[in-house]
Amino acid sequence: MIQFLFKGIIRDKNRSVLPILVISLGVFLTVLGSAWFKGVFSDMINTNANFTAGHVRVMTRAYAENVDQTPNDLALVEVDQLINDLDNQFPDFEWVKRTHFGGLLDVPNEEGETRAQGMAIGQGIDFFSPGTHEPERMNIPSSIVEGKLPGQPGEALISDDFAKRFKVNIGDPITLFGSTMYGGMAFTNFTVCGTVRFGMRALDRGAILIDISDAQIALDMADAAGEVLGFQKSGNYDEERALQVKDAFNAQYAADSDEFAPVMQRLNDQAFLGYYLDLAKYMSSIVIFIFVLAMSIVLWNTGLLGGLRRYNEFGMRLAMGEEKRHIYGSLITESIIIGTIGSVVGTIFGLAAGYYLQQHGIDMGSAMQGGGMMLPTVFKARIGPEAFYIGFIPGLISMVLGNALAGIAIYRRQTAVLTKELSV
Amino acid sequence: MENPAIITIDKLIKRFPVGNGEFTALNNINLQFKKGEFTGLVGPSGSGKTTLLNIIGSLDTPTEGIVTVLDHSIAKLTHKQSAQLRNKHLGFIFQTYNLFPVYTVYENVEFALLLQHMPAAERRKAVLDALEWVGLTDKINSKPPQLSGGEGQRVAIARAMVKRPAIMLADEPTANLDSKNSHHILQTMKRLNEELQTTFIFATHDEKVMGYLNRIISLEDGKVVKDEQVVPAKN
Ligand SMILES: Nc1ncnc2c1ncn2[C@@H]1O[C@H](COP(=O)(O)OP(=O)(O)OP(=O)(O)O)[C@@H](O)[C@H]1O
Ligand SMILES: [Mg+2]
Repeated sequence: MIQFLFKGIIRDKNRSVLPILVISLGVFLTVLGSAWFKGVFSDMINTNANFTAGHVRVMTRAYAENVDQTPNDLALVEVDQLINDLDNQFPDFEWVKRTHFGGLLDVPNEEGETRAQGMAIGQGIDFFSPGTHEPERMNIPSSIVEGKLPGQPGEALISDDFAKRFKVNIGDPITLFGSTMYGGMAFTNFTVCGTVRFGMRALDRGAILIDISDAQIALDMADAAGEVLGFQKSGNYDEERALQVKDAFNAQYAADSDEFAPVMQRLNDQAFLGYYLDLAKYMSSIVIFIFVLAMSIVLWNTGLLGGLRRYNEFGMRLAMGEEKRHIYGSLITESIIIGTIGSVVGTIFGLAAGYYLQQHGIDMGSAMQGGGMMLPTVFKARIGPEAFYIGFIPGLISMVLGNALAGIAIYRRQTAVLTKELSV
Repeated sequence: MENPAIITIDKLIKRFPVGNGEFTALNNINLQFKKGEFTGLVGPSGSGKTTLLNIIGSLDTPTEGIVTVLDHSIAKLTHKQSAQLRNKHLGFIFQTYNLFPVYTVYENVEFALLLQHMPAAERRKAVLDALEWVGLTDKINSKPPQLSGGEGQRVAIARAMVKRPAIMLADEPTANLDSKNSHHILQTMKRLNEELQTTFIFATHDEKVMGYLNRIISLEDGKVVKDEQVVPAKN
C-alpha cells in the first residue's frame, strides 16, 4: 500500500511538487535560520565572555555598581590570595586577573616632545604566565596585523587604526597617561611591539594592551586588579554551574557589609546578555513555531485543493469498500512521505547554505554598533547537531497538520450520495 | 438443488427529507435475488432505480423494512462493516469509470486487491486474469487518459470483478458508450456472469441492455410495477 501511495505521489505532480517546494523552502529557512541564530548568539556570548564578563566575574561591590566606568580606585586588592582561594574552591574554572583602564596615548617625536595624542582604552591581561590562555581567549594572536605579542615588561600592543593614524611603527616608544588607583597622575613609557585589529569598533579606534603586571606598576595597583574573571575549563558556558559557583561564592560574604567586599556575577547578569542568552535558548522554538504556522496554512490550502481534485478517487475508494479511517490514514501517510522528501531536500540546502555562512560569515560591521555590548562585526552561522533534524519538525508537522485538517472532509462524505457523485 | 436468495428485500420504504416534508423514493418494495441472476431495474427517470441499487450496495440505508444482503441486514451495519461487505462481496460500476488517473491499468485493477491484503503472487495472477476477461492484456501499462471510453469501462469492470464479488451493481454502465462498445462490455459481463456465477443487477434505460437480461424489474414512482423472467434475446 505504501508503495502504491508512493507511486501516486511521484506521478501526480499536482500532489507533490507544490507541497515539496513549500516544505523545502520552509525547512531550508528553518535550518539556515537556526544555524544563523546559533552562530550569532554564540559569537555574541563568547565575545562578551572572553572580552568583558568571563563566565563569572569577581569585583568589589562598589566597582560592580559602576562597572561601566571601570573605576580602578575601587579595584580588588590582595588578588593573588583571592585567586589562590578561587583555584582551590572552584578548580573547574580558570581564574585570571584583568584591569581595564582609560587613558591618553602620547606619541613623542625624536626630541621626546609630543607629536600626537589620542584617547585609548587599555587592558592589562596575563601575557606572561607560562601556559596563559588569555591571548588566545581574546583572539589576539590572529588579530595581530604587525609585530608580535608582548614578551617582556614594557612592551605594548596598540590598535592598528591608531598606529596608522598617528604613524606609529613597531619599536616606537609611546607614553600612557592615566590615573593611579589612588587618583594620582601616572605616565609610563612602553615600546610598541605590535598592532592589532579585532573587528570590533570599540576596541579598534584606540586601544592598548599590556601585561597585567605592567598595568599594576603603571597604575600603582600592587597586588590589585580591577576584575578577576573565571572561565569554565570545559570551554563552554554552563549557566547552571556558573550560578552554583556565584551563589556559593557570594554566600561567603553575605554577612560582610563592606563595600569593598568581593562580589561574583555570572555572564547572564551582564546587561542585555541574560536576555540574549534566553533568546538563544528559545530562538529555534520560535523559528520552528513561525514556520509551522505559516506552512501549515499554505499546506492546508493545497491539501484542500488536492482533496477537491481527488474527490472522485476518494469516492470510488469508499464505494470499493475502503473505510474512511483508512483513506484518511493513507492521506496522512502520503503527507508524511511528502513531508519527509521536502524536509530532506530543504535540510540539504539549508546545511549547504549554513555551512557557507559558517565558513564565510556576513560582515555586519556597519549595521551593528553595539551599545555597551561587545559585538563582533563578522557574524557566522554555526551548524550544530540539531541542524540535521530541526527542519524535520516544521516540515513534517506542517504537512501532516495541513493534510489532517484538509482530510476532515473525507469524514463528512456521505456514502449515500456516492453513486450520484460518481456518475457525473 | 435449490438456489437460495442472496438478496432479500422486505417491505422496503425509502424516504428523503425535502424541504419541510418528505419524499418517498421507494414505496413498499418486496424482492428477492438469487445467485447468478442477470437482472435489470428499469423505469423512467426518478423512479428509484439508483436509490434501490444504493441500498443493496450498503451505501444507503432503508427508512423502513428489511434488506438482507448475503445474510447481512443493511440497516444494522456499522460504517466499518458495510465497508467490509463492499470490499469483499460487492462490485460497483458507474456511468463514468472513475479510474485513478495516475495509475496504470494494471495498478487500477490491483488496488481492489491491495485493500484485501492479498499476497503479491496471488494478486498478480488475479489481476492478469481479470484483464484477460475484459480483453485488455495489451493495455496493462497504459494510463486511463490514454484509453478509449470502452476500454476505460472495461478496466472499471476488471477492477470491480477482480475480487470475484458475489454481486455486481451497475448503474447505467453503457450510458457513455456507443453501441459497439456497449455490446462489447455487456457481452463481457454476461460471460463473467455465466462463468463465475456472479449476480448482476443493472439500473438502466438502455434498450441495448434489455436484450441481455434474464429478469426485468420495472419501477414506477418507487413501486415495482412489473417483475418478469425473460429469455435473453442476445445469448
Ligand atoms: N438524497 C436525496 N435527497 C432527496 N431526494 C432524493 C435523493 N436521492 C434521490 N432522491 C429522489 O428520489 C427519486 C428517485 O431517485 P433515483 O436517483 O433513484 O432515480 P433513478 O430511477 O435512478 O433516476 P435516473 O434514471 O434519472 O437515474 C428522485 O425523485 C430523486 O429526486
Ligand atoms: Mg439513476
